[in-house]
Amino acid sequence: MFLTRRIQTKDGIVLAVEKRSTSTLLESSSIEKIVEIDTHLGCAMSGLIADSRTMIDHARVECQNHWFTFDEKMKVESVAQSVCDLALRFGESADGEDALMSRPFGIALLIGGIDENGPQLYHADPSGTLTRYDAKAIGSGSEGAQTELQEHFHKSLTLEEAISLSLKVLKAVMEEKISSTNVQVATVTKEGYKVLPEASLVDKIAALA
Amino acid sequence: MEHAFSPYTDNGGTTVAIAGKDFVVVGGDTRQSEGYNINSRYAPKVFALSNGSVLATGGMYADAVTLVKTLGMRLEWYQFQHDKDMSSPALAQMLSTILYGKRFFPYYVWNTLGGLDENGEGAVFSYDPVGNFQKYKYGCGGSASHLIQPFLDNQIGRKHLDTQIDYTIEQVKKIMMDAFTSATERDIYTGDNLEIFIITKDGVTKELHPLKRD
Repeated sequence: MFLTRRIQTKDGIVLAVEKRSTSTLLESSSIEKIVEIDTHLGCAMSGLIADSRTMIDHARVECQNHWFTFDEKMKVESVAQSVCDLALRFGESADGEDALMSRPFGIALLIGGIDENGPQLYHADPSGTLTRYDAKAIGSGSEGAQTELQEHFHKSLTLEEAISLSLKVLKAVMEEKISSTNVQVATVTKEGYKVLPEASLVDKIAALA
Repeated sequence: MEHAFSPYTDNGGTTVAIAGKDFVVVGGDTRQSEGYNINSRYAPKVFALSNGSVLATGGMYADAVTLVKTLGMRLEWYQFQHDKDMSSPALAQMLSTILYGKRFFPYYVWNTLGGLDENGEGAVFSYDPVGNFQKYKYGCGGSASHLIQPFLDNQIGRKHLDTQIDYTIEQVKKIMMDAFTSATERDIYTGDNLEIFIITKDGVTKELHPLKRD
């Protein structure tokens, strides 16, 4: 298990995850728990990572279809909602729609991005419930992390402050010692989705102490 | 004598759209013809849509009505799905994809779409029947377009003239009425009434002006 967290600030969205190593032989760069959905949307995940493939694929296709038809970026809420609609398409088929899956998805997503309504962060859980947050932690250490967030989050956080707050929260709840290789951080700003390079994490983690 | 089924009719009529700094005026005559017959003296071919844009159609009336019905439905779906009205540029792109979706049995319609763009400025989008479109400041379509287009190029586009003019809504309405009264003299498919829609950020208003009925 691992921990995923997300913060919404006025400048953008920060996503941070712990990549827990199960073996010293594991290549940590092969674990990917934050992905790009569109240039203005990112997604962090917790649960059965394989299940997220279907959902992420769906979200990406929805975004591209929307752009193709309307020549505009899809709203963050609309993308998140379309993913949640998919989460309920298991079991018997209902009113004309084909059932896609035999079982529900075992994954929770944090979908964040920027649109005309500014930066927004949504939590999509396996039940198909969609909730908006200013800051949210999911996964194995989420209780502790959420409490930390509650204490330190405020609406006027800058992006840099939000990044260091995410790292601080991760550091506090992680069992392993935090390093640039066992966390992954991405941001979504007006300039778009960006994964922070490992090199820049080294300094940011050192600055936490 | 053998009669092959012919799916298309040209019902004639003319449409004009002119954009200003923060408004658009879209007009069309209300005559509907088939050959030398007039089916109706008031069959509007300019339609105000739910998102504040106005669509002017020319060509086959039945296809135009079907197309407008489809657009109305898609606008409503969009509103439900995204909790906002579709913008005019988004509608412009969607109209293009809808038209191209019938690439091999096209709607026999020449569309001109008027609306305010993302900056609140007036915009006119002109289409061919298969969805080719471009954004302009003014445009016209239909049976008298060959009479009106050069007049607009001169008076609105002010091509090869030294002075550009930012017209007011009243001035644009006058120019449009002059264009139609002139076209009515030479085009038998244009006449009866001129229906004008004025689009501003405050909404859409409609006016009806008489034209020659012969």
